[in-house]
Amino acid sequence: MKNNGYIRILIVAATLLLAACSGQYVGMPRAEVLDYQNGGTYGSLYNLAAAYAESINSAVKQDTLHPGLYAEYGVTLALMGHNGEACRMLNSEVRAFPQSRHMVRRIKERLLPTMVDDTIASPADTADILKLESWAYDSITALKPLPRIVAVIDSTDSVSIRLQTPVDSVEYPVRLTANQKREILAQEQAKEEARLKFVEDSIAAAKQAKIDARKQAKLDKQKAKKEQQKAKKQAEKEKKRAAKEKAKQREAEKQRKAAERKAQQEAARKNKKS
Amino acid sequence: MKRRQTLFLILLPLALLAGCKGEKRIAKYSEIYNERPSTVYVAPINDISPRRAFRETADSVYNASLNTAARQLYLTATDPLTSHGYYTMGPLASAQLAATESRTGKQLRNENINDLYTDLGIDAVLFIDLISWSQTSSSWSVEAEYVMRSTHSGTEVFHVHVNTTKYLHTDFKGNPKPLKEDLDFAKKYGCDLETAQRCRMVEIMNQYVLRDIPSGSRARKYSAEQYVNSHPEYFRLRIHRDGSVELLSAITD
Repeated sequence: MKNNGYIRILIVAATLLLAACSGQYVGMPRAEVLDYQNGGTYGSLYNLAAAYAESINSAVKQDTLHPGLYAEYGVTLALMGHNGEACRMLNSEVRAFPQSRHMVRRIKERLLPTMVDDTIASPADTADILKLESWAYDSITALKPLPRIVAVIDSTDSVSIRLQTPVDSVEYPVRLTANQKREILAQEQAKEEARLKFVEDSIAAAKQAKIDARKQAKLDKQKAKKEQQKAKKQAEKEKKRAAKEKAKQREAEKQRKAAERKAQQEAARKNKKS
Repeated sequence: MKRRQTLFLILLPLALLAGCKGEKRIAKYSEIYNERPSTVYVAPINDISPRRAFRETADSVYNASLNTAARQLYLTATDPLTSHGYYTMGPLASAQLAATESRTGKQLRNENINDLYTDLGIDAVLFIDLISWSQTSSSWSVEAEYVMRSTHSGTEVFHVHVNTTKYLHTDFKGNPKPLKEDLDFAKKYGCDLETAQRCRMVEIMNQYVLRDIPSGSRARKYSAEQYVNSHPEYFRLRIHRDGSVELLSAITD
């Protein structure tokens, strides 16, 4: 019993001592940062931007701004290509923490070289950040070039689509709700049906073309045969006509020769008489 | 009997406090008190812990787990400093700064880094070396070294070598059983349990090591904690199965 008492005191004392030593500052969205660092995809970058925006919102409300939070959000926006907002966020960092001005300038020189001297800070109130947050979400579709769907994978509980952006050829899966899943599947089914119909139509068209070609060939052959026969007849006619002509000429020649012979005989008879 | 109990109650906190051995902070960290740094730059982690050669899928999973833990070590290094009143940049901004630096980590640790103060306004640079990971069937260990160098004088103002061991519950087959905190972490971060346990381990290590740095000169408790005992330069952290943490001097262990 006494031992139990000592043990309890020991546990309480150790807990108090450890509790005095503990302490955690919550501000950076570590899960999203880690996700981005592990993947480095557009999707994780958007999630990170949204998480930073949320952190800034809550920090502004609670008046406990984590050092470097504006700069992180600024860098994220700059990586997404939204340079104007990125510059304003970096300027907000300098306004909130003046000791960061040299580092922010170096970051600007690297990411926003044309905006190094732009030092106008954002109003950095909650509404502005909320607006930015929604804008960051919306920018998924507004970004150019648009990501395109390269594959749709159907699993047992959800559908994940892979989007490929032509800029850096990054693919990332997107989790969908049940409605989106249904919609995507319906679209995919319609596409598949259209594809099958196209294939069937193509096959039918090919078959028809083959039949037509055969018919045409047959017709051409018949036509050629007819023409050949016609030509043959014509040739025969020509031949007959030529033979007739020849016979006529021969007859005329015969008659002429006979007339000449008769005339010679007449002349010879006259000479004899004389 | 009552006197013995009273004596025990007086001696117990003293004995527990004696566990956190070390000099007074004002003596051990006299350089920090002299220079009063306010802006600290956390250099990228120097991860020299060995990786497995790829023979099967499990090897790449193990290596990915160590990589994630190293990133978590970097991410969680700024929070204790911030809560102590130092200004630190976040991971993405620090990565941009690191990209503009032409010197290697080794050069930054050994050569003159006064230009970091003149060009970037950084007062001190924190270097973290992740030396090794080891594991048995019931415990995991990680060894790390923390060094902070002043950019004004170039001296080491903080130097700690720590070995952290986490003891694991095992089931009847001998497989490690995770704590609820580990499960929550895995769910939140979307990683596997092994990675979650490693990440939580390095996070706890960061908290226990870096909270020993004196508060920044702008912090409210700056002068109040000068006579508090500091951690020893070499120490061991034991994370017990119930989640409690014990700090032991390397010499007493």
